[in-house]
This record gives sequence, structure tokens and C-alpha cells, in this order.
Amino acid sequence: MVDLEKLRTVAKETVSRDDVKYLIGWRQGTYGFRVSPHFMKEPEEAEKLIFSPLCSNNLATYLTSAEKLPVPRGEEPDTRKVALMVKGCDSRAVVQQIVEQGIKREDVIIIGCPCDGVVDLNKVKEKFPNVSELVQARWNNGSIIFQLPQGEEEVPREDVLADKCLTCCYPNPVEADVMLWEEVKTRGSDEFADVKEMEAKSIQEKQSYWQDKFSTCIRCYSCRNVCPMCYCEDCILDRLNPNWIFRSVNASENMAFHLTRAFHLAGRCIECGECERVCPVDIPLMKLNRKLYKETKEIFAYEPGLDLESKPLLASYRPDDQEDFIL
Amino acid sequence: MSEQFKPNIVAFLCNWCSYAGADLAGTSRIQYPANIHVIRVMCTGRINPLFVVNAFQQGADGVLVSGCHPGDCHYMEGNFFARRRFTMMRKLLEYVGVEPERFHMSWVSASEGAKWKDVVEEVVESAQKVGPFDQFRRNKINW
Repeated sequence: MVDLEKLRTVAKETVSRDDVKYLIGWRQGTYGFRVSPHFMKEPEEAEKLIFSPLCSNNLATYLTSAEKLPVPRGEEPDTRKVALMVKGCDSRAVVQQIVEQGIKREDVIIIGCPCDGVVDLNKVKEKFPNVSELVQARWNNGSIIFQLPQGEEEVPREDVLADKCLTCCYPNPVEADVMLWEEVKTRGSDEFADVKEMEAKSIQEKQSYWQDKFSTCIRCYSCRNVCPMCYCEDCILDRLNPNWIFRSVNASENMAFHLTRAFHLAGRCIECGECERVCPVDIPLMKLNRKLYKETKEIFAYEPGLDLESKPLLASYRPDDQEDFIL
Repeated sequence: MSEQFKPNIVAFLCNWCSYAGADLAGTSRIQYPANIHVIRVMCTGRINPLFVVNAFQQGADGVLVSGCHPGDCHYMEGNFFARRRFTMMRKLLEYVGVEPERFHMSWVSASEGAKWKDVVEEVVESAQKVGPFDQFRRNKINW
């Protein structure tokens, strides 16, 4: 399925176009199972690009995080497009950004890479500890083959894939200008088992569970920085006047931070799982996000990032919305 | 506790309906619990869910958000947005272990002084039932 030749040819052609600023793709990292994002400006760099089960980064983040420098007097602003390689979940992030008018559809070229699930580095490292040489990986019909220094190892996908990929319902990009290879079949179905398990607990159990998790938070804001949907130029966490959430790291502020972060993604989170992946203290942030995802799906029959014509959930309403909790 | 617990309730009222409704309750001399601290806002659609979180941090045991009935909003659609927003917020608060009895939303129009009394009584009662809420307090800083 993965056709690296095709990927590189398309990348070369795209970057050679006059109206393209650069292409964002994945390249081999520097050690172990690492993969880095690659900003490709010259066609010669095409050989660096890869696509494998290790490409877990969501590159849609970089669409909105590019610095917008003031245009010098007498110069025209750079209106060239950005080309972007997307997996299924990444494409939903792009669509949701377009729906929210964070970016314009005509400003991006979406190169779709149907994806059979990416690995969770923690699970892989547990299986193959202390690997410092570069490792490559590829999909093989329900399993993943790692090219380790000692030889090839085949591992069933359930053992190493990230949790979000095991329940993924949209492995194929929902919007793409170029689709690189044939679509993969959807293997997962989302029953929200983890959320339901959490909901079944008593209030006291929930409280102690989350206080325990939030107490480890060091407020590095990685989850915010990596999130493709967190692209406000003036983030409420950085604002000093009014200062809604203090910077001190304590139970109250951590709780306020996590509630705010989760709420700001209500009806917007596209379940790419990046926040959880980058969290240095392994807070199960997706459990929070998925709770809100589940509620939007159940109450409003809304799923973000699927339809370019849809409206953002909290910026629209229906007169007959549910109101059973209102006195 | 020998004495009954007196909860702190913060109420965000919309200027056009609920605030006038509470005013009517006052001028009509309707007796209702005095635990409620009213903050007037121009519309329920103006209330950021962060206000609710912040109220809990600063000492509220319960929060009430009250506005015009759907369709009666002075700004045409503010309360429809607020309704969606707080549906989500309520689910989230419950999920992280804040009792659902601590957060309420109501529609009280300018002519419903009596309904305002009922709403306040229910909010205070349910906050009394779950007791003081101090897991989430912003601690005073002791240098």
C-alpha cells in the first residue's frame, strides 16, 4: 500500500510549483524510533520524505503556528500555498481549521496518506528497549514490521498501535487534493469504552482520580502547543490582564487549566491524540477530550472535522436543543 | 454540624430578564434564601464557562446561570449559544468530579418573581445537600 516512490514524485512536483511555499512532511528522526517533521522547500529534498507507522506527529499544527511577520513597506505579502501531508486524523484537523476560518481552503494543498494506524512510542519502547540505532517500520496487513539492528521483527498491530488508532473510524483523509494510494479499510469502531468506564465511577472516585492525575501536571503547556486546534494568537493562558488562570502549580490552578483546555476543545477535538502523546507526565488527556466528543456526538449528533460546509458546534444552535437540565 | 450549612451561591443573571425578575421578587417582598450573590451580565451568552470555574476557585459552593427564556433573548440568540455551552460544561464538570448539584441553569423572565424564589430555593437546597466544596479552592498564598 505505502508507495514511497509516488509520495516523493508528488512531493517533487508540488514543491516545484511556483505558488507553493513549502511542503510539510515526515522524515527520519535522529535516533531510535523517532520521526521528525520536514519542511521541504527544494525538490531535491524529496528523498528524505518517509511515511511509516512511526509517523505519529500531526503536521496540521504547523499550518497555524507559522510566524506571521509584518510585511515590509512596498512588498507584497506572501500568498503562496503550503502543501501538507495528512493522515486521516490530521485531515480532520485541517478541515476543522477551515470550518473555523483559521485557515483558508485555497491556502493549503492537502496530500492525503491513508494510514493503517501509527505506533505508540511507549508501547514500542517497552517491547524493544534500548534501541539507539535508527529503526524503520512498515505496515504488513494487520501487523507491523520493524527493521531493528538485530533483524526484522513482526508485531501484531494491537500490541503497538496507539489507543486512538485502535478505535479510529476515519483512517482515510476526509479531504484531499491528491490521494497518494488506495484507501485502507476501517478496522476500528468507537464504543467509548474508556469514557464509559470513567462515567460509571462515583463522584468521589472521579474526583480523586482526576486530582491524582492533575496533581502531577507541571504546566509545561505542551498539550496546548502541539494541539492543531489550539491556535489562538492570544491564548487565555498567556494573558496577564485579566489573569484568569494563575501560573502557580497547585491543585486549584491545575484543575482550572485542565477544565479550560478541555472545554476549549469541546466540539472541536478531532482525536489525533497528540496532547496525550507529548504529555511528559502521562496525564490521560484524551479521556477528557473523548468525553466531550462523546457528548457532542450523542446530544447534538455532531462530529467535528468531517464536513467543510458544517458550522462549529458552539458557534451555532438549534432552537430545539436539549434542555433537560434547565430549571 | 449543629447549625445548617450556609452555602455560597454565585448567580450570573442576564440584565434583561433574570435580573429584572430578581428585582421583581424583591419589590414584591417575596422571601427567598439570602445565600445568593448576584452578578449582573448583559446576556447569558456573555458568560464564559471560565467564570463558573473561577467562581468555584474563589469560594462558591454552587453556581447559578440564569437568563431569558429561549426566543426571548434581548440579543435574539445569546441564550441559545449559552445553552449549548453549558450543556457541555455541565457534563465536563460532572466528569471531573464536581457534583452536578453545584451547577444550575434556569430561565427566569422579568415577570417571574415567584419562579425566581423557587429557583433560588432549589439551588440552595441542592448545594446544602452536597455540602461545602473546598477541593477546588484557590488557596490563600502564605509567603
